[in-house]
Amino acid sequence: MECIVQGIIETQHVEALEILLQGLCGVHRERLRIHEICLKNSPNLGNVASEIRLLCDLEQTEHMWTVKHVGGAMRGAGAEQISVLVRTMVESKVSKNVLRLFYALGYKLDHELLRVGFAFHFLRGAQITVTVSSINKMLKLHATDEAVPVTPGIQVVEVTAPATSENYTEVAAAMSSFCEYLAPLLHLSKPGVSTGVVATAAAAAASLMSDGGGTTL
Amino acid sequence: MPIKWVLHWQPHAGTSVNSQILNEVSQCVESINGVKEGRWKATLTFYKPMLRDQSLAGEFPRDFLGISVPEQPNKYYFVIRAQRIVMEADSSIQNIMEKLQSYKMRVALNFEGFQYQLGDFQLRVGKVVPTHSENLRGIVMEVEYLPISSIEKSRQIMEEFLEIWKEALSKRSLPGQFMHMEPNFTEYGLPEPYTSQHTAVQYATVMAQLIASVQSGQAVRN
Repeated sequence: MECIVQGIIETQHVEALEILLQGLCGVHRERLRIHEICLKNSPNLGNVASEIRLLCDLEQTEHMWTVKHVGGAMRGAGAEQISVLVRTMVESKVSKNVLRLFYALGYKLDHELLRVGFAFHFLRGAQITVTVSSINKMLKLHATDEAVPVTPGIQVVEVTAPATSENYTEVAAAMSSFCEYLAPLLHLSKPGVSTGVVATAAAAAASLMSDGGGTTL
Repeated sequence: MPIKWVLHWQPHAGTSVNSQILNEVSQCVESINGVKEGRWKATLTFYKPMLRDQSLAGEFPRDFLGISVPEQPNKYYFVIRAQRIVMEADSSIQNIMEKLQSYKMRVALNFEGFQYQLGDFQLRVGKVVPTHSENLRGIVMEVEYLPISSIEKSRQIMEEFLEIWKEALSKRSLPGQFMHMEPNFTEYGLPEPYTSQHTAVQYATVMAQLIASVQSGQAVRN
């Protein structure tokens, strides 16, 4: 299970966001270069449509693979009152043969993309991860060296935290509390809820850049 | 990790495996001063595809196996023997397969028994039984040589040990023998040194041999 919110920010303000995150998190950022391959079952396989994501971390010397299954979001009155999305999610680290295996099992490539940016991992009431990345598409199959941005000038910000059925309300509260600090620069919401860029972003970014984050927003 | 050979009991034509053979094998290990240490268990599961049109079953693998080994309690291994594919994953991959609902578990087998220390060797003798059943389907034996992790460098000493072992066992006049069918690890993309992925591939190979010997036994009886 995980809690997640997303938002977008103009590339010109990413450096300011990084300064803000650095100050808030107290940890160094990690570079992010993830090749994400989304597979779906072939029509005859399985009684329901299923999707699986294969993530290859290209930043590691020896590429590390992860399989990720994202399930349905929590629904109902309780879910609507929470400002973050709570959904089932299961991950597994796997060895490099994963793509061959799933192709052999009857899964087909639906789409692939390359996320390039950075991430902060820190503990603040919950184990929170903030990723800031451009989403890039490949012009040729699996050609990660020839990727181009899907939306030039715009980057995606994701804030996630693992959760369980016992603690998701606490995790959601910790995330919401943290996200308030980012409000001058970007608006974070549940995936699928479009919010656009924030009007105050330019001024907030200028403030951050002028004194390196010393100013309280 | 140390090199390991996984052997399976091959009954003589017209005979089948039984618990008496298993007892004799265990006693033989102890007679050559193997020190009993404790229990061990590995599992192997056959997965089958969930298909809307069964006539298209030929398009999907018939030998998709999931394997767990005691050395790696947090790992799970998938093998598709016909395509020479092996993959190591966290145990959570089983949850993922369940959520995908594209393959389901068909038959699950346990390989379980006792392990013994014999100098630099660790031996495991195990029965092959379906989960929740005592119906003996086969006998396996693991021979692990602790000082070496190279498949090639260990070959001679493993073969010498196997000769000693077979000679000790032959005095009991059992209707069969242990066989070692080494898979072509290179075809699975597995280089040196030895790993648990190699073990998973050996178990998949042993399984194929056990199925073949059961089927040939049935053919003889028919």
